[in-house]
Amino acid sequence: MIEITALSETILAESIKVLGPAAKRFLDRQTVHHMGGLAFDDLRAEHIPDLVKWVGISAQLIIDKKKAEELVKKISDLA
Amino acid sequence: MVSWHTSITTKLTAGFIILILIIAGMSVLYTLGSTKAALKETTRDELTALASMAATQVNGDILKNIKPGDENTLDFLTIRDQLYEMEKSSPEILYMYTMRKEGDGISFIVDASYGIDDDAAPIGEVYEFFTDEMISGFQISNADAEYTTDQWGTVMSGYAPIYDSTGEAVGIIGVDMSADRIIERQDFIGNTIYLIIFIGILITGLIIGFFSRTMIRDIKSLNDSAARISAGDMNVMVTVERNDEIGELAESFSRMVSSLKIMMMDEDA
Repeated sequence: MIEITALSETILAESIKVLGPAAKRFLDRQTVHHMGGLAFDDLRAEHIPDLVKWVGISAQLIIDKKKAEELVKKISDLA
Repeated sequence: MVSWHTSITTKLTAGFIILILIIAGMSVLYTLGSTKAALKETTRDELTALASMAATQVNGDILKNIKPGDENTLDFLTIRDQLYEMEKSSPEILYMYTMRKEGDGISFIVDASYGIDDDAAPIGEVYEFFTDEMISGFQISNADAEYTTDQWGTVMSGYAPIYDSTGEAVGIIGVDMSADRIIERQDFIGNTIYLIIFIGILITGLIIGFFSRTMIRDIKSLNDSAARISAGDMNVMVTVERNDEIGELAESFSRMVSSLKIMMMDEDA
């Protein structure tokens, strides 16, 4: 099991590879707006299923479906 | 819009065409030159072998006694008919004849075409265009290194000594092959090489064309995406996927576009 800060950092690192330098803003928005005001830095393993769901929906507005699915899978695998 | 003469497609295509032409040109020069030389050498070997084989069929004891004015004797006619038959047995042979040394010169003894062709040499006619190979032919079978030209045409000749019963060389047999025949063979090989290289260029061109097309298509796609974003259209998806440098460029570009979209969405919210 990855520790909380390490989990956020790992997800952020994977997301930057796809979404670029604004990935932190994107992830913050998902947790704050869709996960009851949760700060991305406070993310824990049990939040992953919810995060995966919202990243899957929102990422498809920014990147193509295939890349969004790949990002979702990478985040899911961290759980 | 990029004009055709500064387009990367034009530069790539021109570069590849020049490269292919240089390689093909060098290949043709090298292959054709070495093949022609090899063919000439093979022809020399063939002529030497033909002369050697024919020399064993001629009776040296009879030949050495033939002198000018014997054109109608049985000995002369027997050898002439023998030579004529050998001459006609191979389409490669143009002329066949026997010769001997006369002082410092060389003269004909029996010409296979004597009495058949008007321009055949009679006994004793001096041959003025003798080569070093012809002189050496009295000791050992060999063939001319280059074409020789005389009143009978341009030929390549093979020579072999004719021995009498005591083992003494009493003359040589000469076998001529027409230069046209050899050039015809060289041309056939040359044309085959040209054809193979042409097909090679065509196939290479098609392969290069295919790869260039996909590469240019992806660059154009990236260029179009950049143009749309610069015009304010943020509904752009970068879909170029490659495992090369263009793929890396596309990924970097895609990340940049994604970040731009995220930041613009934040501003809109």
